[in-house]
Amino acid sequence: MIETPVKPAPLLDVAGLQKRYTSSGTLAIEAITLTVERGEFVSIVGPSGCGKTTLLKTICGLLHPSAGRVTLDGQLVTAPPPQMVLVFQDYARSLFPWLTVARNVAFPLRKKKLSADAKRRAVDDALAAVGLGSFAERYPWQLSGGMQQRVAIARAVAFQPEILLLDEPFASVDALTRAELEDLTLRLRDKFGITMLLVTHDIDEAVYLSDRVFVLSRPPSVVVREIAIPLPLPRDQEATRSDARFLALRNEIHHLIGAR
Amino acid sequence: MRRRLGTVTVVVLLAVWEISARLMHSVYFPPASTVAVTFAHEWFSPLFAEQAVPSLFRMFAGYLIAAVLGIAIGVLIGAYRPLFRTLDPLLQFVRAIPPTAIIPVGILLVGIGDAMKVFVIAFGAFWPILINAADGARGVPRERLDTARIFGIGRPATLVTVIFPSALPGIFAGLRIGLSLAFIMIVVSEMIGSTNGLGYYILQAQRTFAIPEMYGGIVLLAILGFALNAGFVLVERRVLAWHHGEAARAT
Repeated sequence: MIETPVKPAPLLDVAGLQKRYTSSGTLAIEAITLTVERGEFVSIVGPSGCGKTTLLKTICGLLHPSAGRVTLDGQLVTAPPPQMVLVFQDYARSLFPWLTVARNVAFPLRKKKLSADAKRRAVDDALAAVGLGSFAERYPWQLSGGMQQRVAIARAVAFQPEILLLDEPFASVDALTRAELEDLTLRLRDKFGITMLLVTHDIDEAVYLSDRVFVLSRPPSVVVREIAIPLPLPRDQEATRSDARFLALRNEIHHLIGAR
Repeated sequence: MRRRLGTVTVVVLLAVWEISARLMHSVYFPPASTVAVTFAHEWFSPLFAEQAVPSLFRMFAGYLIAAVLGIAIGVLIGAYRPLFRTLDPLLQFVRAIPPTAIIPVGILLVGIGDAMKVFVIAFGAFWPILINAADGARGVPRERLDTARIFGIGRPATLVTVIFPSALPGIFAGLRIGLSLAFIMIVVSEMIGSTNGLGYYILQAQRTFAIPEMYGGIVLLAILGFALNAGFVLVERRVLAWHHGEAARAT
């Protein structure tokens, strides 16, 4: 027998995923196949209403697929696995307003078998990493929208997942904050080595952040194309966005989404 | 300024009461000053322990039972949709019963002692607390529940750490309605079958033509009700500080 060099198995493997809403019978997702390698930053872009949130919820095990399967680290996903965290678009609804920022971040650690000291350190580290070290004792609703989303991201990071699913996390903040949060996400990937899977309808954002982009069709969704983003790292808001290749890539995706 | 305006209103009304009562000379309508003198004489005495304390004790006992059961069952019903769908029609029907109508049932079941009063007070206060707790638990944003699931928090822990705090604004709305109902129920139940308590005292004063005493009893009820509500608001402000803060930010 000839030994063929085998590519290491992808961290996340989504195979023929289909989702039909049980209540209405509508087919939201026709069939989606994609993989995410360890340490990769992958984005999924598509027209609004293409079932992006449904896709992420199904990938992370909050919803059951109608067909196909999701495997994480070789394990079939049937319920939210501990190595995966989903960050919602609506931070105001996903954060707990009765808890301080520090307690919000500490909330998921209750399930982890860590000493009180280790927990405090995890919370401090996560808050420092998102630049909210001095806001630990505030309440989320005392902070701006961008800061609240950072709290949600810190909470996810403190949980130490292998992969972070981001559901349009920057859609409810202003453009300047958005750019800040994008760069923050890139830094977090480098600092903690977390794999990122982002869903967005913002093509520029997808190109700016990602190593690879999957373009979805209108519902019932399928993957229209997979596009590698060979832009140099680290990315820079000005340099990257004015790169000719950046523009070519965004135009290509724009065309793909617009044409369907 | 606002406070001063309120004080002026009270003073003017008391003056109108005083003057009109003195002009009318009716036994049934004593002047405010007479009521005040009687009030001071009656209530700054062991009578408070004899008549007011039993009322307050029954009310707190009944209210506590209603609060514990109402919150626990309400949150459970609200959290589990099938339970809610199964029980909601029944709950809506039973809560429509005016709680005063349950007094004869209470007398039949547990006699006319303290148990009956505690029972009817608990019954009256229970429903609004239950319904509001259930509504609060039902209205938890999807994302909050999903967040708990994503972090592997089990159902029972989610109930305590996510659903219950989320339902607190609803719970307090119910507790507030429950408190005023408990207050009504204590007076009514003591008027129907009792040998002491404020309801008994007021009715007894009326029957024996002790008219200033009757008004004095009513004034005492007003003062107690006011104090209870003020105490409630104090607790609510503390417990729901986050909710008020959030709501103030949203507008």
